[in-house]
Amino acid sequence: MAVAWIGNRETLVERACEQAAMLLQSSRCPVFSLDTDIHGTRAAIALAERVGAAYDHVDGAALARETALFTDKGAMTVSPGEVRRRADLVAIVGELPAAHHGFVAELADTVPDLSAKNAREFFLIGAEGMEAPSFLGSRKAPMLSCEGAGVSAALAALRAQCAGRRVSKPVSNFDAFKTALADARFPVFLFSGHGADSLALEMLQGLIADINRKSRASALHLPASESGWGGALASTWMTGFPPRTGFARGFPEFDPWRFDVARAIAAGEADLHLWISAGAAGTLGKTDGVALIALAKTAMPIADADVTIAIGEAGLDHDAVVYSGRTGSLAAVEAGKASDLPSAAAVIRQIAEHFPAGAALPC
Amino acid sequence: MLTKISGGEIIDPVNGRLGKGDLWIRDETIVEPPAGGNADRTIDASGCIVMAGAIDIHSHIGGGNVNTARLLLPEQHAAHVARPAATPLSNAGWSTFETGCRYARMGFTTVVEPAMSPGAALHTHLELADIPIIDKATLAILGNDDFLLSMIRDDASEQMIEDYVAWTVGATRALGVKVINAGAAAAFKENVRTFSLDDVVPSYGVSSRKIVKTLQAAVDRLGIPHPLHVHCNNLGAPGAADTAAETIAAAEGVPLHLAHLQFYGYGTEGKRKFSSAAARLAELVNGTPEVTIDIGQVMFGQTVTISSDVMRQFSARGSASPKKTVIHDGDGNGGGIVPYRYSKDFYGTIQWAVGLELFLLINDPWRVFFTTDHPNGAPFTAYPALFELLMSRDARDKMASGVSGRAMALSTLSSIAREYTFEEIAIMTRAAPAKLLGLKDRGHLGPGGLADVAIYRKGKDIAKMFGAAAFVFKNGDLVVKDGEISHYRWGKALRLNPPPDKAMVRRLREYHERRYGLSLDWFTFPDSAIAREQPFGEVSCRA
Repeated sequence: MAVAWIGNRETLVERACEQAAMLLQSSRCPVFSLDTDIHGTRAAIALAERVGAAYDHVDGAALARETALFTDKGAMTVSPGEVRRRADLVAIVGELPAAHHGFVAELADTVPDLSAKNAREFFLIGAEGMEAPSFLGSRKAPMLSCEGAGVSAALAALRAQCAGRRVSKPVSNFDAFKTALADARFPVFLFSGHGADSLALEMLQGLIADINRKSRASALHLPASESGWGGALASTWMTGFPPRTGFARGFPEFDPWRFDVARAIAAGEADLHLWISAGAAGTLGKTDGVALIALAKTAMPIADADVTIAIGEAGLDHDAVVYSGRTGSLAAVEAGKASDLPSAAAVIRQIAEHFPAGAALPC
Repeated sequence: MLTKISGGEIIDPVNGRLGKGDLWIRDETIVEPPAGGNADRTIDASGCIVMAGAIDIHSHIGGGNVNTARLLLPEQHAAHVARPAATPLSNAGWSTFETGCRYARMGFTTVVEPAMSPGAALHTHLELADIPIIDKATLAILGNDDFLLSMIRDDASEQMIEDYVAWTVGATRALGVKVINAGAAAAFKENVRTFSLDDVVPSYGVSSRKIVKTLQAAVDRLGIPHPLHVHCNNLGAPGAADTAAETIAAAEGVPLHLAHLQFYGYGTEGKRKFSSAAARLAELVNGTPEVTIDIGQVMFGQTVTISSDVMRQFSARGSASPKKTVIHDGDGNGGGIVPYRYSKDFYGTIQWAVGLELFLLINDPWRVFFTTDHPNGAPFTAYPALFELLMSRDARDKMASGVSGRAMALSTLSSIAREYTFEEIAIMTRAAPAKLLGLKDRGHLGPGGLADVAIYRKGKDIAKMFGAAAFVFKNGDLVVKDGEISHYRWGKALRLNPPPDKAMVRRLREYHERRYGLSLDWFTFPDSAIAREQPFGEVSCRA
């Protein structure tokens, strides 16, 4: 199976890496889109520093909402293990990413063994008309929503009503929630940047802060993308900043607007796009005037890519370290079906070897 | 390679070597002067102090809470000037890469991250592995976890407790064990807001004292070189000196290390009910030989407090500056991030003075350790200024003239004449930490020792001298020259490796599957996950 292409022409991986290195060195404004494991992210950030690139996650908008909660506001959070063992009230905020449905179903099937109540109630907080998620099975989950309003407004009204203030549009099922909240020892709100905007995330934390004045409550962060959040952690320890960070001036700068890679490409600022993802490459489009290097799990060249190099999927084709929303931390995973496809990290290091007189990447 | 460090003033208290002389290094090791004496490389150390590489026993340099603090405060670590090309990523304001370079420049060659959540061990070690040049180590946190609290509640045998502690230390690649506000994080989950040594964790019926004593005994019986590392209850509270005094008394002849004692050195005297109790605590430490302490010195300015004492951090949210915090309820401790600015007002001055009083009133430099509890009291980059305060009464007096006079009136600091000598500095920052952590290969300059050597150009400006070493060797590699990084390398994480008890592993597997619905494999990892060659160095337990 061919594993590298220059344009549509099959070539050796080494030649493709050499061509990619040439394109990266000649670029005046390279941008990277990342969706890979921890070591792939580390190598990509080290490469970004070397070539003065900016980097973002492939689903940068959702990740940016999540990182902004921390960089701008702060939060109260809880680990998934404590939620399973202690949460006697679970409120789901907006739609959750599919990757976490299994865990929430698990919560629906279990009771908190560290809670005196030994029972768990569910609520949904969302836009009016939001359907009950199927992963809750037959579990009842009253909807907390406001007429004609989205999740942010529902949270705002819920917070106001919990504080005893009047609202113009009351929250549905509020009395049931109020009673359940009064009985709960450790209520937990499940949230993600996937199903809630920045205002909703901030309002949710305001509600939790209010509850914690007299009793306990917290929030479980279920990231919009596990690779995105894992990448954010690695980026933060390597540079001090989460993604939407750039090295254009030789040192890391964090700017969620300027280094929004999709925006930079659309605005014609970028002249090279390095795309790294073992996931679906079909969504990747070519933009005029922007060279494209794709590291993807593919058996054929990516359409319009100047260079395509096949990589393996982390945790399937090769061992990996990934963020696990199930444990709330980084985990080592063995290759499920080991193959010869190289990891993203290995390919990135190989590209860097073609830079003249450069030391090996530090990651 | 044979290296001769020529003509320096050697300060090696362990081997009784104090005075001018030469030091020889062959590859990674300090050696006797060779016959013939033809060095491949000679370092002129005339006019310099030559010490072993410094060891920091308590500095929050990596792991989940540290990284969350970085995430919370992008505005606090604006990038610096461009750096030499040989030091990748080391210009990032607050990064793993910068951490290693800055420590190395000051002559530090080993640093201990003292608070690793066992569930985040892989994350912690990945961060430590990205800290260049120096060696690292971590302490695993126990004492708020359900597994241990349940065992204590159920009167589990000493052997079972030891097996659990040994498994945790081994699986997480730790160098020791730390307990943080024992029981309080578990109590906080049940809405308890204050917690003292004899308070009881709801649902478990176990007191904080019982947890500390149980872990202290297990660590001692396992032969873990570093005594149980204790973060006491009531950190930062007026009157916390009482809690610290009770904890010191609870040592009862068995080694115990109290972390950042400065944060407990507060009495309740004066109009503001906040005063220095440092003299009282120093006297207690002086009279309790089994107790060691580190200071956690406060220095004025902006910092961020990072602690797994989630109850304390929650209560400190109102003092956050800037006003944003993260409070995390974890599987055991969790943690809290609260940015803070130490000002020269009454309270800040009391804290600053308490730390210095403890440094200067505790007589034995083998039992008091040099820390700012980075970054809680101050960033470790404040170390050079702190060395100056310890070695110069004039420097202290000068600083004291610009702080709160009312606070100074409630402190003994102005009356203390003591100035640390170079020999005492070498004990406190080299010899004693190595002994406390069981690192026999470092902390001294004797033949057979690891060639971790710091060379400082002697001058009147003590802070300048300690801020930028003239030369630093790590494992025999010249890594710093004239205060700049001259060679990039990767250190190791030092760890203990007690053999796991098979019955305990079976029990833990069953526990994790039943209680968390997860295989124990999710909480362990192979060395290869770190993706560096030889990421760990093994340290022996006592026989």
